[in-house]
Amino acid sequence: MIPINWVVGLAAILFAIGAIGVMTRRNPLIMFMSAEMMWNAAALAFIAFARHWHDMSGQVMAFLIVGTAAAEVGIGLAIIVTVYHRRHRLDVDEISGMKN
Amino acid sequence: MSLFHAMLPEYIVVGFILISLLGNMLSRQRHVASWLSLIGMLSAFGASWNLWSYSLKPHMFVGGGVVVDNYSLFVNLLVLLAGLGTILLGWREKRWGTEFPVLVMLAVLGMMILGLAGNTITLFLGIEILSLPLYILAASTHTALGGEAALKYLLLGAFSSGILLFGLALLYGAMGSLTFVTFAKTVAAPTSPLLWAGVVLSLVGILFKLGVVPFHMWVPDVYEGSPTAVTQLMAFGTKVGAAAILLRFMDFGFYASPGWWGPALGYLAVLTMIVGNLLALPQKDLKRLFAYSGIGHAGFLLIGVATHNLDGARALLFYLLPYGLAVLGAFAVLSLVAGDRDQVSVADLSGLAKKRPVMAAFFIVVMLSFAGIPLTGGFVGKFFLLQAALFANQPGLAIGLVLGTVLGLGAYLRPVQALFSADGDDQVAPNWTVGSAVVLVVAVIGTIGLGVYPTPIVHMVNQSANFFWLH
Repeated sequence: MIPINWVVGLAAILFAIGAIGVMTRRNPLIMFMSAEMMWNAAALAFIAFARHWHDMSGQVMAFLIVGTAAAEVGIGLAIIVTVYHRRHRLDVDEISGMKN
Repeated sequence: MSLFHAMLPEYIVVGFILISLLGNMLSRQRHVASWLSLIGMLSAFGASWNLWSYSLKPHMFVGGGVVVDNYSLFVNLLVLLAGLGTILLGWREKRWGTEFPVLVMLAVLGMMILGLAGNTITLFLGIEILSLPLYILAASTHTALGGEAALKYLLLGAFSSGILLFGLALLYGAMGSLTFVTFAKTVAAPTSPLLWAGVVLSLVGILFKLGVVPFHMWVPDVYEGSPTAVTQLMAFGTKVGAAAILLRFMDFGFYASPGWWGPALGYLAVLTMIVGNLLALPQKDLKRLFAYSGIGHAGFLLIGVATHNLDGARALLFYLLPYGLAVLGAFAVLSLVAGDRDQVSVADLSGLAKKRPVMAAFFIVVMLSFAGIPLTGGFVGKFFLLQAALFANQPGLAIGLVLGTVLGLGAYLRPVQALFSADGDDQVAPNWTVGSAVVLVVAVIGTIGLGVYPTPIVHMVNQSANFFWLH
């Protein structure tokens, strides 16, 4: 059986990679993917802790995270496609019509 | 009381979402769905009011995941008000399809769920049900700025939800439970680094949604790019939902250990009040100005949480109402002046006092309420916050509140000054529309009523901030 620390450590590494990805990448698709990776890291941590505590509510939370992430991807990709249709380039630094 | 009875307002909203979808299939005209959503939200408002009047004891369902008490019902009343305002302000918008009322009701449902959240599952679901329709609504007018606003909102929303989720996972790991009641029983001091990191990350996630400095970068762009009626829902409804869950999460779940999160929130509150109001000063775009003023008001609201006592909770709950009414009134004028345009600058208001004196007078009333001038609701709200800060023996918060208010006064007087300038005499006078007029009149009557005779609402708020009972 894998010790809990390893699984949570993996989740923390995935979370850090996702967070760094959102902050450093400039392509909305990659940024969105990185944000989803942070969600999945959280889901992994929930499952690991659920096994550790022998408690089902963590697994319920993980299922709900997966379901919500699917809904969010649907809406997110639609918005990114709409923006792409208008500009034909995807770079969040260029998408800045509002500056004060 | 059964679960069905206690959650009747939520069930009514869900039911009317389905009926509106059905109505959209039968008729391609939006006013069918708009009327249905108006009726639905009004009946949910009535149901919340009725339940409020005889539900003094908190009712817990689904293993503590759903807590229906006077607090959640009061939050229901506030967010339903915001939803009704959004439907009325967006009534005439031609670019929206029939999906607009349905999405507004879904977002309102998410805010209502945030009010009754009793564990982290409900918290997360509430935040997502609130955010997902708002992403679509921000982009719903198919303009370049709308798409940009939606993209920024989506990316930062997903990012902050990720931080929040990881924080909640760490809290679950530290305590082995998801319900706030267990948190309250377990936590006395920051015993483990896991717990500490969990609280910090989930706080960051919630503060992102509330728009507190230094997590406020997305607010001005999203508010400016979104359609006016939707911006109103974000400014009023989202703020109510985020403040409600922040208060319940910290003041209830971690009530036993305020020593290590109270000061941090206090510093953030002072920073937010000053930075938000300071940045509002030079803004030319009105929606941007209200975005920065919203950031400043998030700082005022944070005082209520940072004081971590009953007075603070009551002051926060009370302040949400005058703030929300002022937002409703200000955005009603904005949508009238804007007409078919999406951008309104301060200069567009010039000469309004001559062309539409009543409209200008109403606008002045809500701006004075924002600034906290006596005889308006904003003054009474700020007074209670000041009192809570002083009772909690935190003079720093009180000083921050006064400084923020003075800075805000400068920002709000500029649009008022523009009303009387003679530059805009060549512009056509804006026409009244029924929906905006109703919203504006309700907002102004409410603002002045709260300022002159706040007793009934104070009484109601005092009974609503009773979620400490559960301990």
